[in-house]
Amino acid sequence: MKKEKYWYKLDNAGKIFPAVSKDDRSNVFRLSFYIDEIVDKDILELAVNKVLPRFETFAVQLKNGLFWNYFGANTHQFRVEEEPAVLCEYFKPVKNYGFLFKVYYLDNKITLETFHALTDGSGALAFLKSVTYHYFKLRGFKIEHENKILSEKPYSKKESEDNFISNYDKDKRRNLQEEKAYKLSGESFNHHWVMFVKAKVDTKQLIQVVKTKYKATITQYVTALLAYCIYKETVDFVSNKKPLKIFVPVNLRPYFDSVTLRNFSLYIKASYPSHRNDYTFENMLEMTKEQFVDQLDKDKLQSRISSLVGYEKNPIIRILPLVLKTIAFKIGYYVLGDSISSCSISNLGIVDLPKDMMEKISDVDFANSGYGLAMTLISMGSFTNIIMTSPLKDLSIINQMISLMVKEGIDVTIDTNYKEGYDEIL
Amino acid sequence: MKYCKTCNVHYDAPLEHCLLCNGELEYTEEIADEPAYKFKIITKKSSSRFWYRFFFFLAVVSTAITIYLDYMDGLSLSWSLIVAITNLYAVLIFRTLSAASQWSAKVMKILMITAVGTILIGFAIGDYSWSIDYIFPFAIIGNILLISILTLVNKKHWYDYFASLIIITIIGLLPGLLDLLKFTTVSWPSFVCFSYSSITLLAIVFLPSKSSREEFKRRFHV
Repeated sequence: MKKEKYWYKLDNAGKIFPAVSKDDRSNVFRLSFYIDEIVDKDILELAVNKVLPRFETFAVQLKNGLFWNYFGANTHQFRVEEEPAVLCEYFKPVKNYGFLFKVYYLDNKITLETFHALTDGSGALAFLKSVTYHYFKLRGFKIEHENKILSEKPYSKKESEDNFISNYDKDKRRNLQEEKAYKLSGESFNHHWVMFVKAKVDTKQLIQVVKTKYKATITQYVTALLAYCIYKETVDFVSNKKPLKIFVPVNLRPYFDSVTLRNFSLYIKASYPSHRNDYTFENMLEMTKEQFVDQLDKDKLQSRISSLVGYEKNPIIRILPLVLKTIAFKIGYYVLGDSISSCSISNLGIVDLPKDMMEKISDVDFANSGYGLAMTLISMGSFTNIIMTSPLKDLSIINQMISLMVKEGIDVTIDTNYKEGYDEIL
Repeated sequence: MKYCKTCNVHYDAPLEHCLLCNGELEYTEEIADEPAYKFKIITKKSSSRFWYRFFFFLAVVSTAITIYLDYMDGLSLSWSLIVAITNLYAVLIFRTLSAASQWSAKVMKILMITAVGTILIGFAIGDYSWSIDYIFPFAIIGNILLISILTLVNKKHWYDYFASLIIITIIGLLPGLLDLLKFTTVSWPSFVCFSYSSITLLAIVFLPSKSSREEFKRRFHV
């Protein structure tokens, strides 16, 4: 039943994003499906508006309260747009009828770009799958949902639950202190343009190398590979006082039995001191494995959740008016927020689609924005896409990554948003 | 599909040269289609903020020059202050008009900026009574009236104006306070403004429907 009077408090992860987002730090991420026909704009718009009432956490607008922002119901008609040239572009919700996500079309591609205050990758993927499913249905195709499309399941209040709050344990709080990290620097592209390089690999080949040769997981392997490439390709890392820190968001839903569509992920990090100059890929991988095993512990994750929620439960912070909180968030993020990570890797896992949809969707993109370098992984069918995005013109780390994968015997197919002649514009 | 034989990498993008080694790409099949470009092509953009920055620069320069001239001539700063306030007013209006917000919010902000601007000019020329006596209370009355009309006309989205109404009615009590402290020379506009704000505020507090109670809860959750 379509409701119009619901509202939500922002979750812990989402509270800071409205204050600190801007043109060069959009906190927007992208998910795209490439389908087997040219996308019909009107039908796509119909599909989004058909699905939206089922996804209450998406049909919202950001409102200002005296002490905190909150999400209020958004009953406006949603409008789809043609995909812009800039990836994960910052947008003002007021210019988007209040919605905190955008749905784009371009040729045979349906793209969902979501502001991170709304949800994380898992929530956005569930929404995009439902939109695409309804798009095909409205086009007249007979698609069996096989219980894999959320919009076809009954609504559960658990989907709207703030699991940061429900897993908060006052006694498990601890002091979270982060040292500053080594930053990738260099000349950026103009107009906030972000370079997108997609390395499509065969999943079986990748698993063969990762599991058989290195006895690691895919995320551990690519994290170590990225760390090694940064070590090899940068001139100022060794002897730099700050460690290289790669942040890896972890989907907390399996750990805490959650089905929420709101943000419920937490970063773990792989850290590599900069004073060493004897790194090899193998010893970096060993370091990565140890750190992942240590941090991927339910008790430790809950302790970090509790510490983060503890900050927002601080009585002084709670009674601070929103306008002052916004200033404090901006200053805090400027001083600390960006400086604690060197880059990020986000693995969304396998896109589980009904068989009928698999036949109609040929490819998938998952991309993140951010300073330095952001890497994302997503698998569908027999392939895995390793996507690297960067606002920096220096491609040496990306080159090294791809070259090392090729040397391991992995077949790589590259796609990119770069075009010859762009040097004149960007 | 294209291929770089140096890097052993396939390309599903319409590039002529390899991204990694800049070597020329070859087709893997004898009769092959050019891979499609799957993104929107970027075109040269003009810097939209240039004119704002230029305008801001002119405002700062003209203010600095007038203050310098006043200071060098040993005059009081009244003339240069008027220039400074007018420049600040123009910059704020420019920002408000170009901001991505609802037109009703823009009108409210412009009314308030204008009221504050006239009070500051009043102080600069040493006669602020006209702005405190008339402009300030009538700007607030106009604002409350505008929001009230919007609330009635747009009943479905009345809560969009809720926070603005609360803030403006609280500000609307100020003219009464200024009158009480004898800052005004003409009392009736301040009295009308104070009364209108008080009645509106009392109506918000004492005539709550279920939905307005909910709205209070949302706006004031800690």
